[in-house]
Amino acid sequence: MSNSDELRAKHYNEQEPRPCGEAECDEEAHTQQQIALAGWQAGNRLRADGEEDPLRIGVYICRCGGNISDVVDVERVAETVRLIPGVTIAKVHTFVCSDPGQHMISNDILEENLDRVVVASCTPFLHEQTFRGAVARGGMNPYLYEHVNIREQASWAHKHDPEGATAKAIRMIAGAVGKLRYAQPLEQIKLPNHRRALVIGGGLAGMKAAADLASRGIKVLLVEAGTRLGGHLNQWGKVYPSERTAAELVAELTQRVQHDPNIKVLLNSRVTAVSGFIGNFKTAIESRHHSASMQSRAEVTVGAIIMATGFRPYVPRDGELLYHSQPCVLTMPEFIQLLSSVSPDTKKLTYHQQAIRKIAFLHCVGSRQLDGVHEPGANGRLNTYCSRTCCTTILQQALAVRRRFPDVEVFDFNQDIRTYGRGEENYYSEASKAGVVFFRYNGEEPPQVHRTPSRRISNGALTVTVKDALTWGQELEVAVDMVVLGTGMMPGQIEDLIGQMKLATGEDGFLQEVHPKLRPVEVAVNGVLLAGTAQGPMNITETLAAAGAAAVKATAMFAKEDVEVHPYVAQVDPALCHGEAQCVTQCAYEGALKLVEMEVDGEIVSRAEVNAGLCVGCGACVAVCPHRAINLNGWRLDQFEAMVEGIATDLPQPPCASELVSIH
Amino acid sequence: MTGPFVPKILVLATEKCAYPGADAVGKAHQEYPSNVYILRVPSPVLFPEDFYLGCYNQGIDGILIAACGSDCPYHGAYERLAARIDALTSHLSAGGLEIERIRLTAICTVCIKAFLKEVAQMSDNLHRLGPVNRALAEQLHRESVQRLRATARSPQFVPALQGAL
Repeated sequence: MSNSDELRAKHYNEQEPRPCGEAECDEEAHTQQQIALAGWQAGNRLRADGEEDPLRIGVYICRCGGNISDVVDVERVAETVRLIPGVTIAKVHTFVCSDPGQHMISNDILEENLDRVVVASCTPFLHEQTFRGAVARGGMNPYLYEHVNIREQASWAHKHDPEGATAKAIRMIAGAVGKLRYAQPLEQIKLPNHRRALVIGGGLAGMKAAADLASRGIKVLLVEAGTRLGGHLNQWGKVYPSERTAAELVAELTQRVQHDPNIKVLLNSRVTAVSGFIGNFKTAIESRHHSASMQSRAEVTVGAIIMATGFRPYVPRDGELLYHSQPCVLTMPEFIQLLSSVSPDTKKLTYHQQAIRKIAFLHCVGSRQLDGVHEPGANGRLNTYCSRTCCTTILQQALAVRRRFPDVEVFDFNQDIRTYGRGEENYYSEASKAGVVFFRYNGEEPPQVHRTPSRRISNGALTVTVKDALTWGQELEVAVDMVVLGTGMMPGQIEDLIGQMKLATGEDGFLQEVHPKLRPVEVAVNGVLLAGTAQGPMNITETLAAAGAAAVKATAMFAKEDVEVHPYVAQVDPALCHGEAQCVTQCAYEGALKLVEMEVDGEIVSRAEVNAGLCVGCGACVAVCPHRAINLNGWRLDQFEAMVEGIATDLPQPPCASELVSIH
Repeated sequence: MTGPFVPKILVLATEKCAYPGADAVGKAHQEYPSNVYILRVPSPVLFPEDFYLGCYNQGIDGILIAACGSDCPYHGAYERLAARIDALTSHLSAGGLEIERIRLTAICTVCIKAFLKEVAQMSDNLHRLGPVNRALAEQLHRESVQRLRATARSPQFVPALQGAL
């Protein structure tokens, strides 16, 4: 017998009603039960007339393999909630989310003719969708389902109060049953789907996303602010880990993008307005033409928007580490430009007519900044994050220098080395073998760059001072001819788009995904996807992967004729609405709620009407209606009132006298 | 079955912030009193004033509105909510119901300490105040519904709210 069989067998045994002790199950106890039942009924408005409740609600209580049942007395919960009017069955299962658990629900819907279902288990964020699916498989509308959280918000939070946790579980289920009493079957909202994508940004991520979408037959508008495709890659040399040149990569992708009939590329163009919703975004694009005086504006409706807006390289402040104060202090992009401008035959490296014999590379410039150590940037923020790509870039460039110019000494100043990707650690070991000298500093005491005193200037015009952790904190001075700052990535300047599209950014200022693991390229606005470094520092490999993922997500969205969105939007009951528009004044979303003329009994009247595609379901309109004519689907006011009633109503006596202990 | 007074606390927790925040408390196996009931809401801005008074009338002793604050995903909803709770507070105060029974706060998805602190504070306050005066709450509820009805510009009879009276 397998483990799960054993569990199941145990479960079915436990399904049997537990025998009461002889003394307790006497007539008195049964009388108690009758009274309790009556008491519960009295608290329920629909059963006040004594009519049999028309609802057939199934309640399922999950043990969660002990996570719940070790604290909550799930059997007593089941026995008690069975008394709630409208509850037809109440069952306990070890894992309701398992296949047998879900099967039990869909089976019961068919066999017991259930018309509402409650599952009391873990947080709704884990399994609400799971159980809506199970309910739908049983032929029931999935929105006649209610989820009760008795793990995160009962058993785990009240471990030392099992009586209290049990009572809470019962009350929460009573609330959910109350909510279901007023529940209405809902359908996902269907909206027309414009099968065209707008990709903002013609760098690596944008080109990749556009090419992938186009290869699946989707029309793409690729909008690039600059004069050519390729973005930052146009300034780079060889890229890790393939050691191909960036130019090759750009050429290859540009070729694909420009020759694909499904892709229209707009250079020198900006997206200036975005409104609407998934499947139906209205966008405006402004383009500059050859003579900068010529401008044109186009309005395009698209179904999905891919944000491939990229990053801004960190630019040190004037004087920071002597940047812009000494000619031989360069940022990494400037150094890469320098190296690629040197002819391959040149054996000596010179810059500003000066021979370069020693180079220092400084890590984490503009990244992993600390309060009190670094100065905040122009935006008032510290870049506390790691830019992720600088370590490997520095090692790659250091190695390139050592190989091309064996006479040049290379010094590397780091707080630690983060060569995290496939093939990247090789750069570290190769750089070590090639004679790169490493210094390690504590993040709170980063290295400083000074001008070398004139008596020692022959050693190099610049001196890097560092408290070196590898030699137990010795203060070291290294004279060099050139300092290369391993500058990181900053969020792109897209404040206008962020505001218009209501996108979320993280503390770091980059665009924020819904969930880093479960929904990594989606944002809270449906139909908008993230590709590449708009979301945070990424290397080329990761950027391509993210862009590919965004393209796949968009493709999946376009697979349907219509887009389906959740039905939790406001709805007006035209029979109650008087067209007074109090609700309209509360709505912050243009076009989501407005007055329309309609004919009622031969008379033309004004009534509020919701545009389900534009309504975000905040409910600001609901509170102000003097006629209770507007409600949020799935979150109706009468549902909330019923939940409170369920929670607040006194519990009935437990059905069996052996359990006649205070559960208050 | 009567014991010492155990207040019933209702937490209206926003789906995007405070509800996952309350989950985080449980996931961290931090404990708080079991008489705290958490309702998931898109935004508490949807509740009219009479909803809160109705809760007191039902025997809820204290209500903690755990919102998203400045992280509110809905445009302007938090500001509207704050204004609505301000109005409620002054009506409570004018009607003689203790204003400590309502509190608006922001709880984020990982605000475990803030959640525990808010709940403990509300619990302390309610133990000091004792059970809510349900009869008074019922009266204030009725007045609140009348105030809302009075905003109707149409002279017609208002059937939908009739049940609430």
